[in-house]
Order: sequence, then structure tokens, then C-alpha cells
Amino acid sequence: MITAVQKPFDEISEMVKGHDKLLILGCGSCVTVCMAGGEKEVGILASTLRLFNKQNNISMEIIEDTIERQCDREFFDAVKDKILRADAVLSMACGAGVQFCAEVFEGKRVLPALNTRFYGATEQQGIWSECCAGCGSCVLDKFGGICPIARCSKSLLNGPCGGSQEGKCEVDPENIDCGWQLIYDRMKSLGLLHKLEENEPINDWSTGRDGGPGKIIREDMVL
Amino acid sequence: MREKKKIIAFCCENSSLKAAYAVTDQSILDAIEIIRLPCSGKAEIGLVLKCFENGHPGVLILGCPVDNCKYLTGNVRARKRVGMVKKALREAGIDENRVQMDFISSVDSHKFMNIVKEMEERLAPTAR
Amino acid sequence: MSELKAGTNLEKVFKAGHFAVTAELGPPKSADVEVINKKVQYLKGNVDAVNITDNQTAIVRMSSIAAGALVLQQGLEPVIQITCRDRNRIAIQSDVLGAYALGLKNILCLTGDHQKFGNHGTCKNVFDLDSIQLIQALKTMRDEKQFICGDEIKNSKKAPIVEPRILIGAAANPFADPFEFRVIRLAKKVNAGVDFIQTQCVYDMERFEEWMKQVRERGLHKQVKIMAGLTPLKAVGMAKYMRDNVAGLSVPDYYIDRLSGAEDAPAEGIKICVEQIKRLKEIEGVAGVHIMAIEWERRVPEIVEAAGLLPRP
Repeated sequence: MITAVQKPFDEISEMVKGHDKLLILGCGSCVTVCMAGGEKEVGILASTLRLFNKQNNISMEIIEDTIERQCDREFFDAVKDKILRADAVLSMACGAGVQFCAEVFEGKRVLPALNTRFYGATEQQGIWSECCAGCGSCVLDKFGGICPIARCSKSLLNGPCGGSQEGKCEVDPENIDCGWQLIYDRMKSLGLLHKLEENEPINDWSTGRDGGPGKIIREDMVL
Repeated sequence: MREKKKIIAFCCENSSLKAAYAVTDQSILDAIEIIRLPCSGKAEIGLVLKCFENGHPGVLILGCPVDNCKYLTGNVRARKRVGMVKKALREAGIDENRVQMDFISSVDSHKFMNIVKEMEERLAPTAR
Repeated sequence: MSELKAGTNLEKVFKAGHFAVTAELGPPKSADVEVINKKVQYLKGNVDAVNITDNQTAIVRMSSIAAGALVLQQGLEPVIQITCRDRNRIAIQSDVLGAYALGLKNILCLTGDHQKFGNHGTCKNVFDLDSIQLIQALKTMRDEKQFICGDEIKNSKKAPIVEPRILIGAAANPFADPFEFRVIRLAKKVNAGVDFIQTQCVYDMERFEEWMKQVRERGLHKQVKIMAGLTPLKAVGMAKYMRDNVAGLSVPDYYIDRLSGAEDAPAEGIKICVEQIKRLKEIEGVAGVHIMAIEWERRVPEIVEAAGLLPRP
């Protein structure tokens, strides 16, 4: 999923200042799963903002709603009227959802309530970690299903560097496992350690962000 | 004049609710509005914030003693949730001590009374 | 092949079978040339070449190539460090051409410390290549006379090929994890075409010897010149800091005890370093030492002398 965390409240309250009627719009997909921008989080943010406004004598009507996804046009139909009536939409979707909402409702002010972080998985309840860098050219077959690009702090294809200590990455030993230690352990258990002796050639990064904004076109599906 | 809003007491039915039933001092009971929960862990962050939005001066979340939760960790989780509520109150510019977590055994009506009394007195000057 | 690859002093020392000695020279955190001149005076004549660090620990310093050119002007041969942190393959290849044009012919290929450790922690890193790919790139430039993209290294169709003839170095860390993979990674560097290796600073001699044993088992010491890295300990505090805070470094307690018991800790640190050199000379496959006296370049001459490594060839 795409993971995100809520922006600092100060930043949000400053951002929404001056709007008389604000729609806080949650997203029912990834950010609901990572507990950053679903229905519950919409309620909490709305309550906090109302309390803040009351304390500061700010008059603002705050409406709450959540749709299934903010990255697909069809789901916006359900909240179309609410969006049109609001002065601004405070979107609790990921960056893609915020932008898409703005694209669907041209001329509407759409503001981000979240900081989008990464493509990740639920390591355990309440903990999410980055797994994929969206490089556009998957190498997981070569590394036992562990991505060196996303999980090594330096994206080394021929790791690990000297900063690997007791399974941890020196960049943040508390929180970051050395991706290459994980790769090594996995390849060893798979009996494939010899594969890691081969030098990984210089990479083609053009399939990812370095090739410019990505676009996928499925000719058979295009209307 | 609007009716004076009371302190909300979210009470776990396995402990603090029983303690509340044993309270004989009517003034204590009059000061609060009890909401029965199957576990203090059921007190969601959004729900607690809603109490403040609705004008209640304070919220108590009263769970079982630590290590004595019927659902194992509901009370500990409640304490963490209260931490999140406190953060939201701080952000909104409201005294974070208006929400309070406590752990009460079913036989400790004395502690129950003290907690309510303390919060009531503390919030009295600002209570409407 | 008896022909020299780059013809540098360091290469000749290796070739002649001498026990090589290099040191490290950190460029200034300013445009102050005097800092370099001073350090050169300490090192000149006492080492075969000197490493010029490339924004080491991600702290901005004078560029390694510029500082290297200044060092060369003073008559001391530099080894230019290039990290993968700050430059992509375009910038790196361009810099290699420039370095060679300035007469800088030893290049050490490093991944580079993460920017988190430096003074610009909010920057974007590059890591377009990793150190092994950088070795491969330099070898391709030197031996295939091609850029990474496959183009020949010449200014125009009719122009002559003028490739950078570089002696390629790299680092190895015998102390990081996973330990069993450390020699494999060295083998990968050898396969990529590295000519010489400098290790992370050695304190734990037993672990280093164990690593060297693995190196010999794979015959790697015959394919690459391995220089053991050394950093003389200035004080107990420094030893403890290295032990506790630098990933991939283990400083044994007996060195810490010696330093804390000594009246003159710096002198004891130097004594330890000299003892280490003497022991390292006896290890089969160790072709030299690389002395990284961090901001302590002035003490290098006495270390080299006490270790019986003077005069230099």
C-alpha cells in the first residue's frame, strides 16, 4: 500500500485558515489501512480542528466524509455536492488522491492533510515499513525477494557497505535493518548464496522516476 | 441558560462501573455522566474528542488495573489512546489534563470518588 | 603482463614488491590552501602516496580533485577518492577525465558515507553507481577505452582515443557484517577489476588475520594488493568513541586498557600503531599499510620511521 502520516497539526491549521466551509475528505483505501486518512482519522482531525477554531474564535464549518478511493474518478460522485459547496477540500488521501481530487474538481482548492511516505507493508499492527521504491524494473528475483533499492539506505545493488552491523544499518540502527543482511540471510537459507557473488551491472534507472513522470497505457482498456 | 455539561466517565463494566455503583455520595454521581463500556479500550480517540466538542469540561477513562484487563491489553491500549487525545487537545490549545486515564479495581469506590472529586474541583473555575 | 597500467609511484612500489605506505589527507573545510601545504610537508618523503578524501563523513570540504592537484604540485602523489554519494555517472566520468588530465592517476572507488552523518543531512543522495560498479566503470574507461554507455573516449570521430589510465583502488571492511560475506564482496571488487585495496582501520588483529586467511583461501591476495588500514589512537576517549559509535569497527579492550594506563596516551597510541604495522608486515598477502591519522598527519613520519619503513623507495 501507499503509506502516509498526518501532517503536523500546526501546518494543517495554518493551511486551512480563511476557509469558511471546509470538507475533510478521507480515503478508504491505502491510507485507511495505514491509519492515516480513513474515516476515523477524518473524525479525529475534524474534532481537533473544531476545538482549535473554537479556542481561537475562528468561524469555520467543517464537514466530514470519506470515499472509497480518491485516485479513481467514479468514487467522487458520492461527494460531488459536498465538494462543490465547500470552500476548500482538506484531503486525507495520499499525494495521488489529493492531486486527483484537484484534477476532478477544477477550480476547487484541495489541500493535503497527510505527508505521503512510501510503498510499504504492515510489519506488525501499528508499524509499517518501506518495501518498494517503484523503480520500474523489478529485481526481486535476484535477491531472494528482498529489494536492495528500497531497503538499503544507499540502494546498493552490490552491497552491503561497511555500515552493516549486527543486522542493522548505521543510518538508524534502532529502526532500520540492513537490507543486505536480510538479503544475505535469505539467499543463504535458499541455498543461493553463490548468486550473490555475481557482480550486478550498472543499473538502468530510466524505468523509474529518473525517466520522468511515469505513465502506463493499456491499449486494450483505453476507451 | 444552557444546562451545565457534566464530566464524562467512560467506565469499564468489569471494574470501575462496579466501583461507581458502590458510591453512596450523590454529589459525586451528580457530577458525572457515566458511559458504560465493555472495556476501557473501547474509548476511541474520536469519541473522546467528540465529548469535548459537545462542551463537556472533562473526560475520565476508567479501566481495570494494569495486568487485570479481561481483554488482556485493552486498558493499556486505552492509556495510549488517551495520550493521543492529550496530543490533540494540546494542538487545539486546550488543557490536556481535561482528559485523564485511571485504573480502578471493582471494589475501590473510594478511589473512584477521589478521582471524580479531584477533577471536578480542578475544572470547577472554568466549568460552565 | 609486465606493463604498468597507470605508471604511478604507488603502482611501481607494488610492482617492485615493496611494502607500500600511504597516508590520508583530509582537504580543508574552507578554501585555505595552507592547510594542504602544511599536511604535505609532514607526509612528503614518508609515504608513497596520499589519499585525498572526498567529502569524508559527508562533511563539505575542498574537492578531492582540486586538493589532489595542489598536493601533486607540491611533489606528493595523491590517491583521489571518489564516492558514489554525490555524483551520478555523468559527473563521475567527467571528473575522472579531469583528474587524469591534471595528472591524478590513482583513484579510490568508494560508496561514500551516508549524508546523515555529515553537515547537510537534508540533501538528496545519488548512489547512481555503487563502489563495485564504479570500479567496473573505471576499468572500462581504462581498458576498453569506452564510457559506461559504450561510446569511445575520443573528442570526435577522427580524434584520437585518449583514455584515462588510472590505477584503481577500493576499500574493504573486514569487520562489518555479515562477516562471511566480506571476503565475497572483496572478490566481487577483484572481479570488477580493482588493482589495490585499502581496508577499514584495523584494531582487532585476530579478526583481521581470520579475514586474511579467507582472502588467501580464495587466492585474492595474488590478484589485488591489499593495504591494511590503520588509525593511530590519540586518546582513550577516541578509542572508546570508535568502539561504540563507528559501525564496523571493533577496538579491543586491551588497547583501551593500555591507553588509559599510559602516562602519555598519544605516545602509547603511536606505539600501538607501530606494533600493529610490524605484525601486519608478517601476514602473508598484506602488501602495505594505509595510515589514516585523522587530523594528526604530523605524527605520521615518526610512525613510519619507528616501523622501519624509511626511507621510502
